Amino acid sequence: MKTKNIFFGLCVAALSIPIHAQEIKLKGKELFGDMTARQIGPALMSGRIIDLETHPENAQVIYAGTAGGGVWKSQDGGASYAPIFDDHLQSIGQVAIDPTDPDQTVWVGTGEIWTRNSVSVGDGLYKSTDGGANWNKITGFDNSERISSIEIHPEDGDTVYVGVLGALWSDSEDRGVYKTTDGGKTWNKVLYIDKDTGVADLIMDPSNPDVLYASMWEHRRTAWNFNSGGEKSGLYKSTDGGATWNKIHNGFPEGKLGRIGVAVAPSNPERVYAVVESEKDEDKGLYRSEDGGASWKQTNNDFSLTVRPFYFSKIVVDPKNPDVIVKGGLSGSISRDGGNTFKALGNMHSDIHDIVFDINNSDMMHVGTDGGVYRSWNGGTTMEIVDNLPLSQFYHISVDDATPYRIYGGLQDNGSWYGPSSSPGGIEARDWVRVGVGDGFRVLKHPTKEILYSEMQGAENVWRYDMERNYTKNVKPLPAKNSADLRFNWNAPMAVSVHQPDRFYMGSQFLHRSEDMGDTWKVISPDLTTNDPAKQDKNSGGLSADNSGAETHTTIFTIAESPLNENVIWVGTDDGNVQLTKDGGQNWTNVVANVPGLPAHTWVYHIEASVHGEGTAYAVFDGHASGDMTPYVYKTTDYGQSWKSLVTDDLKMFARNIQEDYENENLLFLGAEDGLYITVDGGQNWSHFTNNFPPVAVHFLDLQKQTNDLVAGTHGRGVIIVDDISILRDVKPEILYKDVHFFDVEPGVMVEEGGFGGGSTELQFVGPNPGTSVAIKYYLKKRHTFGKMALEIQDMQGNTITELGAGKSKGINIVTWNYTSKPPKMAAAKTFAFGGFTPVRVPAGTYKAVLTKGKKTYETTFEVKNDPKSFISAKEREAQYKTSRQLFDVQEDLAYMVYQINHIMTKAKDAINANNKAKKVAQPLIDELDALKNTLVVTTGDNYVGTAPPQLREKLSALYSDVAANFEAPSAAQIENINLLMARFNEAKQSFETIKKKRLTKFEKYLAKSEMQPIEFQTKEEFVDTKE
Amino acid sequence: MKTVKLLAVAFFLAFAGISNAQTAEEIVENYFENTGGLDAWNNINAMVLTGQAGMGPQEFPYTQYVTSDGKMAIQISLQGQTFTPQAFDGEQMWATNFQTQKAEAMDAETSANFKIQSKDMIDTFLNYKEKGYTLELQGSETVEGTDAFKILVTKQPVIVDGEEVANTATFYFDKESFVPIMSEAAVTSGPQKGMMTQTLYSDYLEAGDIYYPHSLTVKFNGQVGQTIKVDAIEINPEIDENVFLMPKQ
Repeated sequence: MKTKNIFFGLCVAALSIPIHAQEIKLKGKELFGDMTARQIGPALMSGRIIDLETHPENAQVIYAGTAGGGVWKSQDGGASYAPIFDDHLQSIGQVAIDPTDPDQTVWVGTGEIWTRNSVSVGDGLYKSTDGGANWNKITGFDNSERISSIEIHPEDGDTVYVGVLGALWSDSEDRGVYKTTDGGKTWNKVLYIDKDTGVADLIMDPSNPDVLYASMWEHRRTAWNFNSGGEKSGLYKSTDGGATWNKIHNGFPEGKLGRIGVAVAPSNPERVYAVVESEKDEDKGLYRSEDGGASWKQTNNDFSLTVRPFYFSKIVVDPKNPDVIVKGGLSGSISRDGGNTFKALGNMHSDIHDIVFDINNSDMMHVGTDGGVYRSWNGGTTMEIVDNLPLSQFYHISVDDATPYRIYGGLQDNGSWYGPSSSPGGIEARDWVRVGVGDGFRVLKHPTKEILYSEMQGAENVWRYDMERNYTKNVKPLPAKNSADLRFNWNAPMAVSVHQPDRFYMGSQFLHRSEDMGDTWKVISPDLTTNDPAKQDKNSGGLSADNSGAETHTTIFTIAESPLNENVIWVGTDDGNVQLTKDGGQNWTNVVANVPGLPAHTWVYHIEASVHGEGTAYAVFDGHASGDMTPYVYKTTDYGQSWKSLVTDDLKMFARNIQEDYENENLLFLGAEDGLYITVDGGQNWSHFTNNFPPVAVHFLDLQKQTNDLVAGTHGRGVIIVDDISILRDVKPEILYKDVHFFDVEPGVMVEEGGFGGGSTELQFVGPNPGTSVAIKYYLKKRHTFGKMALEIQDMQGNTITELGAGKSKGINIVTWNYTSKPPKMAAAKTFAFGGFTPVRVPAGTYKAVLTKGKKTYETTFEVKNDPKSFISAKEREAQYKTSRQLFDVQEDLAYMVYQINHIMTKAKDAINANNKAKKVAQPLIDELDALKNTLVVTTGDNYVGTAPPQLREKLSALYSDVAANFEAPSAAQIENINLLMARFNEAKQSFETIKKKRLTKFEKYLAKSEMQPIEFQTKEEFVDTKE
Repeated sequence: MKTVKLLAVAFFLAFAGISNAQTAEEIVENYFENTGGLDAWNNINAMVLTGQAGMGPQEFPYTQYVTSDGKMAIQISLQGQTFTPQAFDGEQMWATNFQTQKAEAMDAETSANFKIQSKDMIDTFLNYKEKGYTLELQGSETVEGTDAFKILVTKQPVIVDGEEVANTATFYFDKESFVPIMSEAAVTSGPQKGMMTQTLYSDYLEAGDIYYPHSLTVKFNGQVGQTIKVDAIEINPEIDENVFLMPKQ
């Protein structure tokens, strides 16, 4: 009947299905199966926070919207946070909690709104109705790029206002204030100025939801300039739910205005504050209105109120006190007199973007900075960082060839660092070493020495850092006699050479080469840029000068020396030149005109010189700084004479970086604005890699040669590693049609480690280690759902060593084995012998992985090797294994003996219970066995401080565990102790035999005489196989 | 034999493509129909599952007792000791304290919250309407490399640290066979609160008159945390009620 049902059910399902042939493509989530990325942070310096929001009723719940790392939710009052937006673009503008359904309904507007040069982009508006577990994209905002504000009606959650700041680098008619009254199904644009002027801030009067304040901001970025301000910026107010708007500038500065931040005092909504960017220094700063914006009075124009309005125009009023106002800024500042005077907030990371007060206690504050979230319990005087937000924003990363390899990189406003790819106990904050200050960018390790190069913004410093001596020297290239001023990009390029280890390149508008690690420099090119004076304006910022150097343009951005020929050097410039020399810099050719379909002057973000051919290279161009979000990825095999686009419809957003595989020319990795893409067929199909890899902006990729780990430097989620991508080299069309395909298994190395690690507290982020187990990898054409499937490890004689949990995903499955068999069967006792949980490690050799799926079996063989760094001899190793096995067997012999004792005692007690006459023969047997048992195992106490003195089982298992967990031969003390315990065990065996001879025989006779069931024991094999 | 047929059908379906739009209700109906029929499911009043539970390299034999009226006990036997890491008698949740080896009651909130979940002892979706659950089909998603229907199930809220917290889980139903292959839920209490756990279901095999997953893998934020291999399932056996009751000291 069942079968019928099942069959029928499936047939019904089949009938409703349109039939078409299934084609297996080399793409998609199916391809990657359970290959999973490893997010290792770091979190100690965290990253830029854009928006903080508190739940209106539950002080435990806080949301953090981040610049490039998605949305994080705290449910413990800000002690720790967890990511809740990992399937969507990670650049966040605004988070809003529906006051009518605060536990469930949350809105997220994407696209960072503190519009520095390095911001990522958003792709619209999202809504969750389950507290952030699932998100639905709201239609109509796909091209919004940046959403600055979401205001929700306090009684009607379907009425929502959304402020779109809009495109940073281009015109946009999507800017403006939008209103929905049906929960986001339909929208009306209720305020629009023009294509240049977006919503910087939109605030609803908490006492009257029809009253809205909207600050409109005229602004634009280019790759070489930023302009804040114009005639069209202004502050508007609506008192009719957005139907009509009026400018409210009575008392505001005359002339052009820039970015304006607004805040209404919740405890007195007529009190409105605005921080205003204007033309004249004297009328910039904070304005206060006592009449809902009808008139304004300037209260303060100190530095902290006027500093960098595009980055810091956030003002927040204490919900309980209209005179307490906090402003974002370089340090953040707080006023307790209605904005007349301010003092700085306590020490924390600089660049404060948002502040929220605890809903119950205004002494508690949460502050979002360029370096994470900070908490204060004393009104902002002392601050402490949240330690578990791995939001680091890498501009670049590189790896070395150490074991474990180290990852080097520079961070937005958080200096330069290196850290290990694995560390005992996990990769902790203390594992990361600072190797630069300011904004960090490229960090490159010297190919052979413990020396690295790091830099800060615009190559203000270029450090040669001696990692062993903790010693730095500034080796920045400087102008020489008769040379022009040097133009370095904010993110200035550097390169080292695999051919000449002491060679070091830097790029300004010229290519600089040093053969002595930066001590002396030689310019080996003419100006390789367009040198367009129109793109060299040094006055950036608009109404507020902002000449940080971030907009320095017409510079070299990428340098690639061919790994096959040191005289072949590629250079890419931010203004769109691809320059090539084949003679070490004597002659240069600009080959960009040969690139088909590429708009002129598109930023050359990365050139990868191939290992597969001297004339082969990849180039990634990025036009987003001119509003062009198209990906441009090309390959040449003829020194740039011709280029082929590798872009397909699979790629949705602009890309910054490409990494080729060193072995398989068709295997390529692309770092895009929306995450990591991989092709296994030379760019015919790209697959988005999303297994524990959010769609975060990937700025740089590197492939570690020994481990084949793909290491991604993300701009918002730190370093993300896809361990050992070598399996992707073997993905070929023919295997995809097989039901099961085992990939070649890289030999497993039993790493000889036994140290201690882990000093982090539970609220500190710890990056996971890659593990040292051997990885068995196979492809399944279909996901295994019905029927049995098992994976076991066998020796070459077919003896089972252990069973593993088989991966059953369609696509690639990776199952690891830690080189051990099962732990021994232990004697039953009152408490645990913890040593008995230790398994025996197998000797090096060849093993089989056998996969059973239904009635079919599939197998592969692989090698297990000893640690090549080991100092342990083969003889010692053999002694360790032999002794471990011996003690393992002794555990099981002891367990079997205790089983027999217990079995006899149970029988004897049963016999007494059945007939008291049995006592005569049974009781002495019980007594003697009990006495013996008490010397064999613990029969009293508990697993903690009530523990009983250890007996033979406990002593033997502790010794066994010590020997089996080690790699060396047992020590002399251990051997002596083994002999001692073995002698005791032999004595016990003797005693048992004596009791059996003397007492058991009599009892057995009694049983026979009484026609009772004789005593029957399981065989030892049967006993060992019982599962308990 | 039945399994073979089933596999053959599934194989056919693989080449037939994926199905048209379905409602959540239809998907759940198909699930029960394909795994023995609703009658067979509704006939279950108790189950005893035995198998191996693994955490990292350690594996423990376990027995799980469940009843359709919401009682549950898990027993683990190890080194001659049997202990109960989790049991629920219908009102009270309790567990063996590992150190003292004695039974201790869990906090009142945990018991009250488990009582809400205890309606799902046989299956989350069995009689979901009567249980007051709402289902929402949230479209399709690729999980385990496989096309799946994504269904959000919303149950009665639980209370965590005194606050009412939504009680939802997302289930992914294989589009070919309509059985769940993965569920996902956020941890609602404790220091891991907010962390997502995924449970993978596979090795659906006959158990009495139904098909039941004999392999479960629990992942925390994508990393394998626990594996459960079911060796045997008894349907409607006699169960000593004492296994559910907290032993008196």
